[in-house]
Amino acid sequence: MSSAMTGQAKAGTPAGRSRLSAFGSAFVAGGYTMYPVLALLVLVGAVVAPNFATGINLINILEQVSVLGLTTIGLTFVVLIGRLDLSLEGIVGFAPMLAAVCLVPATAGGFGIELPSWMGLVVALGTAGLIGYFNGFMVVRVGLNPFISTLGLLVLLRGGVLIVSNGRSIYSPGPALTYLGSAKLLGLPVSVLVFAFVAVAIGLVFKYHRYGRALYAIGGNEDAARAAGINVDRVIWSAFVYAGLLAGLAGVLMTGRLDSAVTTQGQGIIFSAFAAAVIGGVSLGGGRGTMVGLVSGVLLIGVINNLLTLAQVPSFYVQASTGAVIIVAAVLTTVASRRSSGVRTRT
Amino acid sequence: MDRTQPIVEMRNISKTFGSTKALRGVDFTVMHGEVHALLGRNGAGKSTLVSTMSGLVASDTGTIRISRTEVAANGQPYAARIRDDIAHVQQTPQLFNLLTVAENLFLENPLVRRKFGIVSHRRMMSEAQALLDKWNIDIRAEALAGELSAGTRQLLEIMKALSRGVPVIILDEPTAALSNAEKRMLFEQVKALKALGISFIYISHHLDEVFEVADTVTILRDGQVVKEREDVGNLNVELIADLMMGEKTARSVRVDHTQADAPVLLQARGIGLYPVSAEGVDFEIRPGEIVALAGPVGGGKEALAMMLAGQLTPYKGKVSGAGGTLPTIGLVPTDRHASGYVGILGVRENVAIGGLDVLSGRFGFIDLDKEAAHVGNLARQTNVIASSLEQAVSQLSGGNQQKVVFARALCQNPQVIVALSPTRGVDVGAKEQLYALLRDLASKGLGVIVVSDEEDEISQLANRVVIVFEGRITGELRGDYTMKDLILRMEGVA
Ligand SMILES: Nc1ncnc2c1ncn2[C@@H]1O[C@H](COP(=O)(O)OP(=O)(O)OP(=O)(O)O)[C@@H](O)[C@H]1O
Ligand SMILES: [Mg+2]
Repeated sequence: MSSAMTGQAKAGTPAGRSRLSAFGSAFVAGGYTMYPVLALLVLVGAVVAPNFATGINLINILEQVSVLGLTTIGLTFVVLIGRLDLSLEGIVGFAPMLAAVCLVPATAGGFGIELPSWMGLVVALGTAGLIGYFNGFMVVRVGLNPFISTLGLLVLLRGGVLIVSNGRSIYSPGPALTYLGSAKLLGLPVSVLVFAFVAVAIGLVFKYHRYGRALYAIGGNEDAARAAGINVDRVIWSAFVYAGLLAGLAGVLMTGRLDSAVTTQGQGIIFSAFAAAVIGGVSLGGGRGTMVGLVSGVLLIGVINNLLTLAQVPSFYVQASTGAVIIVAAVLTTVASRRSSGVRTRT
Repeated sequence: MDRTQPIVEMRNISKTFGSTKALRGVDFTVMHGEVHALLGRNGAGKSTLVSTMSGLVASDTGTIRISRTEVAANGQPYAARIRDDIAHVQQTPQLFNLLTVAENLFLENPLVRRKFGIVSHRRMMSEAQALLDKWNIDIRAEALAGELSAGTRQLLEIMKALSRGVPVIILDEPTAALSNAEKRMLFEQVKALKALGISFIYISHHLDEVFEVADTVTILRDGQVVKEREDVGNLNVELIADLMMGEKTARSVRVDHTQADAPVLLQARGIGLYPVSAEGVDFEIRPGEIVALAGPVGGGKEALAMMLAGQLTPYKGKVSGAGGTLPTIGLVPTDRHASGYVGILGVRENVAIGGLDVLSGRFGFIDLDKEAAHVGNLARQTNVIASSLEQAVSQLSGGNQQKVVFARALCQNPQVIVALSPTRGVDVGAKEQLYALLRDLASKGLGVIVVSDEEDEISQLANRVVIVFEGRITGELRGDYTMKDLILRMEGVA
């Protein structure tokens, strides 16, 4: 039989043009679309705001985005399989709060059980993982739509934070719990190192691990993944657990940075996480998205927020302009990916 | 209008997708009241050509005239201008699963529309019921399209196209998902409409159908016409196959590699195919054996296959392997669009998800070199034609998508392969190649279970044929059965 895989590869358009367009699609598919925009923004920032391009400020940006970054990575687990998880925002607030009240004495608002400080991490991450497990159960076993089940849980967790804390923030919950979010190592905040490590490790999993392959396959066509022999239910379930764990870790970092578990902790973060994911080219329909892209979305939001603050834009406007920028960035990503791949279901 | 003039006239049609030249200066004409078969191997450009005709894909060059509408193509969309002259049943199903049968049939149909775009529900229901009655299809007009069998869904799409009252109708592999009885119905309707002067463009890889319905044949190869408007009387199956493939394709015969005294690979004991089936079904397969499951649609052969593959849990009884452990099983599902391929992923990723166990090393990371080699090898063996292994499977031609699904089923070096309609949409040459591949694997001890409606396919492959009817095994053919035996058995129950 003639020429499988080669027949049509070289026929056609002038090599130069097709190489350029191949580069274009690889650029977009790899998730690099927003990096030129990011670079431009940094350049503009450096020119207009003298305090922007300083080492301290840039590290500050990284420190600020690490919480959002971890939440977005968690969210991406479930978005890649075509689901979503709104309760991550609740976990960011609830998991560290529960840990904090288990640590501090009753006089400081705790339960009075005063667990050793390192147990705080166990409680926070354990709670986060369990909540993720519950979400997975609801979606896989009960068959609920994740939008509605995780929305319910989000509201429930918000209330839960107030219940366990009696509506009061908990200050100085203990050194082990706050270490990750407050300490420095080699001149860098530990939170930045944690984010970088998680991003690299999970980026490798997404791209090169069989678990990552299964995520993309399920997001692209769940039935096909099942027919290919993938244990679809287990992957979906575990994706919710990983998402919960990462949101719990994000919450721990946040509590550490503030040295307190605040009752409003994490509020609104799920919107930024969705925005960062979409800007980074993660498709809400599932099956598409890369760690490289996701990180660009997170950084973009961080840089914009920072610039607006440095430019002393009144805080009311910061929120509104962030929203506007999200829309613009989403348009850019969409146009770029349509231009480059033009994927349409064929006949 | 002059009936001796062509109703469709296409001149110098070209279409390039990225680096693939799908069509290169094709001329194509269709006369009034003609059934024109468009043939060619997988990826030849058939679907692309008819898509440029209906405007689904805009041609880059040339002119298209349908009835009185003339279009000079330059890559810009023109579908709106010819919409009222042509209907197109695509190779990929286009029904809306969550709409009812009636809504699917009369979507955007002026017949049921009233003032302000309000749709007359009563009118729609009665028209739909009339249409279903005319075709003699026993489903309710309120049923959701997503609940129907693949064959019925295909028929619905055809009915929708045929009831639009247009002079030209494209049928792109309409029979791929149809049972023999459903095919009969289709052919009757086509002949009736042809008598009224309606023209058809008919694409199929079942060459025998061509002689049944077509008047004229045009053959494409690599985006060019190799035989234009040949009278079907001047052709035969072998000639067409050779023209399509550009080389001789020999029809192979079955070989028996059954290791009769080896332990059973996979067996079923007393399994219930239906929720309330009275008696259980027993089945076993040995290394090297190729078994076909045949029988009417819904008779239980698909259910048996899916239970053997571990995708469905039997209502009672048990499926087990030699010594208690189940063998590794590769599955080719019936409906490649629904559960075959992941459209947005490339060929490599699609094939690899079938064999994550063999491709990943310790800690579960994929061995990229091994993946490239293994997938490349499978793609070659199954004759997948793509611009590269990274091309999204949604962009491949229908037959090549099917080959990707086939390659995926082989990816984990299975001990048993369960293949439902494995060569649906695959051209005659590639079919032979897949058959040879299955025989070769059988000679190395693989057990093959094929579910098929095609007598040819069964007789070329199967050492044993099991007839499944009404949830029971009602017959079996072994060894030296003849084609006549087979047809008698298969029709005996239908
Ligand atoms: N949207 C697309 N993007 C890229 N390539 C495409 C696209 N559509 C079609 N092609 C390519 O064009 C060629 C012709 O495809 P086409 O679907 O017309 O083949 P076909 O003759 O219908 O084959 P089959 O018998 O398998 O259905 C193939 O090589 C295919 O990969
Ligand atoms: Mg086709």
